[in-house]
Amino acid sequence: MSSMTLSPRRVWRWASHSSLLGRLLFPVVCLLIWLVSIKAVTTIWPFAVDVLPTPWQVVEFMWDEITCHTLAPHNMYVTFGISLQRLAIGMAIAMVIGIVIGLAMGLSKAVDAFFNDWVVAILAMPNLAWALFCSLAFGFGDTGPIITVVLTGVPFVIMNVREGVRNTPTDLFDMARAFGVPRRRVIRQVLIPSLLPFLFAAARYAFALGWKGLVVAEVFGGQDGAGWTIKFWYDAHRAYGVIGYALLFVIFALVFEKFMFDQLSKRLFKWRPSLDAVEVVEEQFDAPTKASVGAAAGASTATGAALGSITMVTSGRPQSVDDELKPPED
Amino acid sequence: MADITIDHLHKEFGLGADKVVALEDVNLSIGGHAFVSVVGPSGCGKSTLLNILSGIDVPTSGRVSITQDGRPARAGYVFQAARLLPWRSVMDNMLFVQKDRNEATRKRCQHYLEMVQLGDKGSKYPGELSGGMQQRVGIARAFSTEPDVLFMDEPFSHLDAITARTLRKELHTIWAETGKTVVFVTHDVGEAVELSNRILVFAKGGRLADDIDVKLPFPRDVADSDVALMKADVFKTFENLGAMAVT
Repeated sequence: MSSMTLSPRRVWRWASHSSLLGRLLFPVVCLLIWLVSIKAVTTIWPFAVDVLPTPWQVVEFMWDEITCHTLAPHNMYVTFGISLQRLAIGMAIAMVIGIVIGLAMGLSKAVDAFFNDWVVAILAMPNLAWALFCSLAFGFGDTGPIITVVLTGVPFVIMNVREGVRNTPTDLFDMARAFGVPRRRVIRQVLIPSLLPFLFAAARYAFALGWKGLVVAEVFGGQDGAGWTIKFWYDAHRAYGVIGYALLFVIFALVFEKFMFDQLSKRLFKWRPSLDAVEVVEEQFDAPTKASVGAAAGASTATGAALGSITMVTSGRPQSVDDELKPPED
Repeated sequence: MADITIDHLHKEFGLGADKVVALEDVNLSIGGHAFVSVVGPSGCGKSTLLNILSGIDVPTSGRVSITQDGRPARAGYVFQAARLLPWRSVMDNMLFVQKDRNEATRKRCQHYLEMVQLGDKGSKYPGELSGGMQQRVGIARAFSTEPDVLFMDEPFSHLDAITARTLRKELHTIWAETGKTVVFVTHDVGEAVELSNRILVFAKGGRLADDIDVKLPFPRDVADSDVALMKADVFKTFENLGAMAVT
């Protein structure tokens, strides 16, 4: 306890091991690079002042947008509302189609063979191509962007649902049969809960990728919405508008992800033992089982694996973030 | 107390060259307050027998009947792994297998949870319990349906030695108190001798090779000389069969 003083060595050790510090440092470094490169470019080519926005310009623009002082036809809340509505409709359609095809593919080898190559093909298709095609096919309006969301989302839903069906817990079905549990109860309490993590993962994927597809589609085929508004600032030759609006969009998507999906995930999957929240209720002679509980929480179930990988894709952070925020105790 | 009759039971898996005979012409009759252990080497068809008895699997030919006073008997099953629904609390897992769910059922479930000393864990999720505790929930679940006959498939084989020993003692107490018919599959001869009053020895190819009555008094301990001698006897049976078990 005597070594609690802040010796330089301790500070250095903390600094070099702290992921919090690393995380905070990142925006600072970015800002520095931004400022330095503006300085460098404008020294070489003075006219660039007009196209290279400073961070302050971007922040000021974002503040104006947040407080509804915008030159665009709609304020940011209306714009994101329009886009969100399209995304929701597109996702709903993608989920329905994806669940039907995914279930069929998981249950039948023939159906799986029929669709498999095409699902992979659609998956490999850049959503820019979908966006261009849809704006050509459906013209300006809601349809093009919505169809783009559907086409972007559907393969992920299909693949996740198929995986879910293939991983249905046969041992639990056998258990239910041995006890003579009625079919309806088995569907409600075994089949649906076992598919739920996969559906959730599918929705998360469809959301994250659907957003991107949607914005691209709105650039080409929209008359309003987030993508169209980014293009509006592009047409107005306001670089700070393009960057600022894109940042607002990222913030909006992250907030949505954080508040909707994380909260929903906590509610739906509270049965999953998180590694740090496992209450230790072991007998003293039963030590090895804790490890197995931990393993079950993460990787041993396909469910866990599916959810784990999705979390990484969409929010890009490991699950045990809380541990990292604490300074080391030694 | 249930009566189990197995008549010319035959089971094979696969077709043609891949055909594997799991059970060959098994004839058995089990009745009364019996604790019957089924022992044998891996692949002798003991789990298949249990799956057919419990209705998870169907026989290729032959007949199985499990009755209780002339009506079809109710069965409970304890698996090698606990097989609990991870998304349901312990109590909901117990209720999942019940015929109807009223206050009396809930009370009965609570009673059996207390019997395996988990009375205060009803609201926990299985993932919050240790492996031994999950297995005990599995045992409580099987008893809570008040089955006439209880099937157990190597229920302690995934547990550490000390937990397994504690649970064996608990199982014996529950069996002695409730008077169920138990069919207990194991590859552990010592466990079979310790718990049962009848041991069925299966040989490779799914043949019933020997049927041993165990008349030693309870409670038995693996350290008792009688139990040790009996165990040696059963092992000798295996050696005579030329089908030494991997225990």
